[in-house]
Amino acid sequence: MKTLVLNPILGKEYRSRMRSWKSPLIISLYLGILGIITLGYYWVKQKNIFYTGFGPDVGPQIYVMLTYFQLMLISFVTPALTAGAINGEKERQTFDLLLCTRLSAVSIVINKLLASLGYIILLIIASLPVFGIVYFFGGVLLSDIGRVFIVYLVTAITFGVIGIFCSTLFKRTQISMVVSYLIVLFLLVGTIILAAFLQGIQSQPYQTSSAAFISYLNPLVALASIFPNQGQNLVNIFDFLRLGVATPGNLNQTLSPWAYNFIINGVIVIFLLLISIIRLDPVGRFSWLRKSANKDHKNAEQDQANDSGLMKGNINEDESSS
Amino acid sequence: MLIVEDLCKSYGKFVAVDNLSFKVNEGSIFGFVGPNGAGKTTTMRILATLLRPSSGRAWVAGEEVTARPKRIRQLVGYMPDFFGVYDDLKVDEYLDFYSASYGIPMQQRKKIIDELLELMDLSHKREAYVDSLSRGMKQRLCLARCLVHDPALLILDEPASGLDPRARVEVREILKELKSMGKTIIISSHILPELTEMCSHVGIIEAGKMVVSAPVDQIVNRSLSRQVLEIRVLDRLEQTIGLLQEMGYTAEIAEGNILEMPFTGDQSDMNHIIKALVQADIPLVSFAESKSNLENIFMELTKGVVQ
Repeated sequence: MKTLVLNPILGKEYRSRMRSWKSPLIISLYLGILGIITLGYYWVKQKNIFYTGFGPDVGPQIYVMLTYFQLMLISFVTPALTAGAINGEKERQTFDLLLCTRLSAVSIVINKLLASLGYIILLIIASLPVFGIVYFFGGVLLSDIGRVFIVYLVTAITFGVIGIFCSTLFKRTQISMVVSYLIVLFLLVGTIILAAFLQGIQSQPYQTSSAAFISYLNPLVALASIFPNQGQNLVNIFDFLRLGVATPGNLNQTLSPWAYNFIINGVIVIFLLLISIIRLDPVGRFSWLRKSANKDHKNAEQDQANDSGLMKGNINEDESSS
Repeated sequence: MLIVEDLCKSYGKFVAVDNLSFKVNEGSIFGFVGPNGAGKTTTMRILATLLRPSSGRAWVAGEEVTARPKRIRQLVGYMPDFFGVYDDLKVDEYLDFYSASYGIPMQQRKKIIDELLELMDLSHKREAYVDSLSRGMKQRLCLARCLVHDPALLILDEPASGLDPRARVEVREILKELKSMGKTIIISSHILPELTEMCSHVGIIEAGKMVVSAPVDQIVNRSLSRQVLEIRVLDRLEQTIGLLQEMGYTAEIAEGNILEMPFTGDQSDMNHIIKALVQADIPLVSFAESKSNLENIFMELTKGVVQ
């Protein structure tokens, strides 16, 4: 019987990641930013208490704001974790060693992704105490937090896969990092601008227009549509984002925006994962699919360089630096 | 153990490996020699299932390389010429990671790692970070990594490149040890003399083609048939040259008290010359084959097509 053991890549990634000083730093920064936002908002509210009174909606407002910021933070942390997953191994010259083990390309890609997701989940769990503040004020159910976490997870998976895909596509980590961030930026901001632009030049009602569907790519829109109880607060805080949000009043579509978002993300994830796996598989069952003469030629040059010892300089540099 | 048949690898118009065929018997050390860029690395990468050949086939222990890559990976231990390490892992964690990647159960890993560290003389570095090891130690660690799954065939791409003489000797000793353990080894180098010391067979490759594939003895004999002898004397150089001339040889002063003499013949002819020199009371210090003999053979066989 096959016993359940931690995949070696997963184990190694966790060990390496938690060993470096970067992890506590990222967690501290992450929580610091969330904490400052919460306290800042609370402070502003308290300042205005004289004019508006301290209403029962403070809790939900803080909650909604926190979830948005957390989503944005996750969006920006995830590509950093995955965009160097594969080409980082290649740059470090450890990838061949990995490929000649019994680990399949599928296992390498999936476990690299899981390792990054594990870290994101750690960040989310670490943020729970900040969310706890919301409970001082009430108005938020535990199930609301659960729904939001599903959006986080879907977003983290999608952005993580985009990062991994870029890391298999580009040779250099910096390039894949930049491209991943550009894609993430497009999904977070570009889709809204594009949707607003399309809506501006179209005469159809918003819910049936292509503008609406483009906005569904945006995880912020998905998040906005998943709030069942705090929808009203969104009007105040992220009015602009409500562009694509279906509220009970205008819900004449079969699916809510978050459902569209999940479906689109699912398709993107499966598609990009497949391409990544095919690209990594040197001689396996998918290798016939990667008949790109161009890329092979580059490989040949690389082999030639290896053979002729041109890369010796790199090794020596490494040595002297270590 | 290994059969390679008409193996080709081309990238567009460029042919890296051209109809390469050779055999490696079980338990032997096969030296794969060729100038830089001859196709050694490409061939080894194909055998290690990291590259798909354009045509041709290869079998390791009866299994075809491209048909069952997973099975081949279990049979083969591959050490690339350039490799990196995970700098945030310790030596034992590094080996544990690769053992796990080869599907070795956790209970067996500790024993395997202990044995390998012992074999590679790295036991004292078990707790050290991989990054802190010297190049020679990293090379030995990588060799240990190839052995975690107890492969029958080892493919080592220039394992001694960039090492200092001491580390080279250590690697050579380890390879001898591995041979005595019954492993079949393919080892590449661009230095023929380095391989003749430990290999049983040598294949010389150039521009993707196998120029010679023969037992080392044959290659050495080939070099013996027309070689240069190095004769060192204390003094009386002119007299020595005269004496050799009487025997029909042409010797020249190479440097200082060393004479170089082209020689065609067998070992009894050599013995005859030594006797004659000693009888004539020439103060002979050494009489040896020139070290450059094997290099000459290598230069002759590989005509320098690849630069």
